[in-house]
Amino acid sequence: MSESPGASFREFDLFVPTPEHALLAQTLHQFVAREVEPQAAAHDRSESFNLALFHRAGELGLLSVTLPEEYGGAGLDASAAVLVCEALASSDPGFALAVLAHSVLFAQNLAVNGNELQKKHFLPDAASGAKIGGLCMTEPAVGTDVLALRTRAVQSGEDYVLDGVKTFITNGGIDEHTLGDVFIVYATTGPERISSFLVEKGMAGFRLGQKWKDKLGMRASFTAELVFEGVRVPLSHRLGQEGEGTLHMMRNLEVERLTLAAMSLGIAQRCIEVMIRYANERKSFGKPLREHGQIQRYIAESFAEYRAARTYVYDTARRMDLRATGQRIDADATKLFASQVGKRAADHAIQVLGGYGYMGEYVVERLWRDAKLLEIGGGTLEAHHKNLAKDLARDPARVRR
Amino acid sequence: MKIMVCLKQVPHQDARLDVRPDGGWIQEDNIKFEINSYDTYALEEALRIKDAGGAEVVVVSIGPERVTQSLRTALGMGADRAVHVKDPEADASDPLGVAKILAAIAKAENPELILMGLMADDGNSAAVPPMLAELLGFASTTSVMKVTRSNGSLQAERELEGGALEVVELTGPSVLSVQTGINQVRYASLKGIMAAKRKPIDTKSVADLGLAGKVGAAAAKIKIEKIYPPPKGKGAEILTGSTDEIVNKLVGKIKELGLL
Repeated sequence: MSESPGASFREFDLFVPTPEHALLAQTLHQFVAREVEPQAAAHDRSESFNLALFHRAGELGLLSVTLPEEYGGAGLDASAAVLVCEALASSDPGFALAVLAHSVLFAQNLAVNGNELQKKHFLPDAASGAKIGGLCMTEPAVGTDVLALRTRAVQSGEDYVLDGVKTFITNGGIDEHTLGDVFIVYATTGPERISSFLVEKGMAGFRLGQKWKDKLGMRASFTAELVFEGVRVPLSHRLGQEGEGTLHMMRNLEVERLTLAAMSLGIAQRCIEVMIRYANERKSFGKPLREHGQIQRYIAESFAEYRAARTYVYDTARRMDLRATGQRIDADATKLFASQVGKRAADHAIQVLGGYGYMGEYVVERLWRDAKLLEIGGGTLEAHHKNLAKDLARDPARVRR
Repeated sequence: MKIMVCLKQVPHQDARLDVRPDGGWIQEDNIKFEINSYDTYALEEALRIKDAGGAEVVVVSIGPERVTQSLRTALGMGADRAVHVKDPEADASDPLGVAKILAAIAKAENPELILMGLMADDGNSAAVPPMLAELLGFASTTSVMKVTRSNGSLQAERELEGGALEVVELTGPSVLSVQTGINQVRYASLKGIMAAKRKPIDTKSVADLGLAGKVGAAAAKIKIEKIYPPPKGKGAEILTGSTDEIVNKLVGKIKELGLL
């Protein structure tokens, strides 16, 4: 008897769609337990980026899951990128953010928007982690309103001259004295004309500005202000054509938002596990916490929300073509939803653990602080509201598709 | 040099285990499986020998389709190829049945060294490695902590009772069963995972191995009558006294149980 289509449909695993994804998930699980978790609290406390762990992630291929194989990547898809971000964030969201800024915002961006020479030159080192990359979009006076960028690039002979300041740049520095290695910088090359440039450490006039200390969360990633003072960037370092910056930005924002949403999944997952364990072990009024209705609500709602968010994120990943745009609606909506699910789960976990939840030792305190950034970075909740309302007004049929 | 590594897929250590209604085994639906932890150390040992001087590492496993996942894991970690005995005829084999299947594969593969875990996390019988060695006429030792090779012979460091160690030398083709914790087992890197896609998994049936009717439930001399969780008892003993007294009593208990 032939197998009914129903059976294979039921067996399809959205979260690990192929054997390669399953192996990746296994490697991530082991790597996180053995190498990420033991260092997470210390790097949060010292507000420092763990470069050695980053190199180790590079060695395992975790920095380059989506990069083409010819540049040292694994050539996998958005689902693989989501697996990486979810797993790392279940233990150390700060480190996960540094990995995401490097591999999604810089390397994947370059893989899609760069030319052959640029990819050959920069991607192998990005894949191995030998060089650490980031993306420069936000400026001191310009956040969500990206078209109002003030950093300027003016062509002068064979170069562009870059002037301006970028801020809140993840991986902007490796430590307080060391600049990150290479960045994609969005700058204006005319009115409402944004272009993208590759800027490297060592270019005259490019330096580390203010180091952001005392961040609420994501303290294991290094956030810096970067200053460009008359930096001469060769024409060969421009991505695509002049004025294509907005397109590059839009192409990359979709996978950026999806992977940030995946980080919120990791946070939620861990918080739910902590809640369940604690509510089973801890007793009050003569019975385990889990038998108290108020506690049940925290656990049950967090779980249901997490599963809904996870399914939405992985289903969007399944459909995402990393080389094309067209999924802005789901990219915005997944992050809008998942980021709040992550934050609520962390909040619920602290509530279930009571005083212990408020203490660093029980992890959820750190995750609660980390969770907040995901409602701001890579698109504020309000930016997602704006985009979604606008995109859905243009395409109301999308609701049923 | 060719090394054969035998892997058993067992329920994941975090899986919730429920006994099947007929009491014959656990419910296997909807639980995750993984490579028996003892076997992962055997595989790592084989991969280290390969890294040190070149060896072909062939992994072998018996079981249904889901076993492919464990074989792919091994290939992702660096094994060169895999043999999968996938045949319901092999189900419910006793240790001798399993050893016969592995021996048939070993005869075809002709390895110089066979590595496997000391026992399986689920069955705990520790019977297959010596039976396999016997069927093949190979030298064999158990509970191996370290393997070294020199001048064509093999030295194995074994763990004895109470943590003492013994070094034995084996001549000729050998079967070693290894203890857990003897090395740090590697993870499959992305490079390994992608390379594994191109590595072959050879599927065999019981008949292919010439063992029709000789293994599986019908041929088994040992049948599981029933499995059941231990009855809940009043096994706990509450130690009382000052902190020092409690600690002393506790240390005494631990020594008594031979755990220290």
